[in-house]
Amino acid sequence: MTEDPKAGAHQPRQASDVELRARALEALLVSKGLVATDAVDAVIELYEHEVGPHNGARVVARAWADPAYRERLLADGTEAVAELGIAGAEGDNLVAVANTPAVHNVIVCTLCSCYPWPVLGLPPSWYKSLAYRARVVAEPRAVLGEFGLELPGDVEVRVWDSSAEVRYLVVPMRPDGTDGWDERRLAALVTRDCMVGTAVPRVPRGASP
Amino acid sequence: MSADAALAEAQAALAGHAPLPRDESNLVFEEPWQGRALGMGVVALERAGASWAEFRVHLVAAIRRRPQRPGESAATAYYAAWLDALEALLAERGLLPPEA
Repeated sequence: MTEDPKAGAHQPRQASDVELRARALEALLVSKGLVATDAVDAVIELYEHEVGPHNGARVVARAWADPAYRERLLADGTEAVAELGIAGAEGDNLVAVANTPAVHNVIVCTLCSCYPWPVLGLPPSWYKSLAYRARVVAEPRAVLGEFGLELPGDVEVRVWDSSAEVRYLVVPMRPDGTDGWDERRLAALVTRDCMVGTAVPRVPRGASP
Repeated sequence: MSADAALAEAQAALAGHAPLPRDESNLVFEEPWQGRALGMGVVALERAGASWAEFRVHLVAAIRRRPQRPGESAATAYYAAWLDALEALLAERGLLPPEA
């Protein structure tokens, strides 16, 4: 939100011409019955609060905390995320792939930018870059290294190529030192990149056990 | 269609042509009216039965007609064109008077 620094914090900011125009158009659309203000509010609410990597983080935290849920998630990702109230066009064929001490997973869409949008929000720009799409398949370790992720040599790296039909979600390994943490606290460790596979969750130094 | 599905469709249809302004991970709204403009688009297109591909044609044309102005942010310019495009699409379908 841009504020005129000269205006006092409590004074309403002068609306710009384009802002006035937006208001006028909305009023017109409402009067024509083309939009309802509360429907617009619902959309805004959605992208401000509901969509984003925290949906995916909730899924991962639940899988860490609840082994039965983890099994369901790995068996049918779409069903398992729906259990948590997450749905969306692109979540229709969601496949969750779990990292293990022997296997590290990473997702890509080599053709375009297919992405598990309902669980991860909007893809980062690098995900759509030709460099990432081409290189992560050919030399995944080098690409992960550029993200600061060095994997032991005996860990197999599996690259999952997303498509319009199948979207993947990486379920990272639960970090050590998180015994007894509740799901909310666990979820805070799960970043978007952890669920793309270009990072792994880390417990912040000095976190209380 | 649910709002989240509609928004996902918008992302997909506009990507590469007139992508929504965003930073690394989130949509960028510098001012609330920009978010409302996007919300209006999602709701009005569904109401009008118009596709995002159809909207995209109007949006690309509107951006061409109204490029970013000096002293104006990219997001402001984008959503100003967005309003033009929404109006043009609805006028073309006879849902708004022309030049409303």
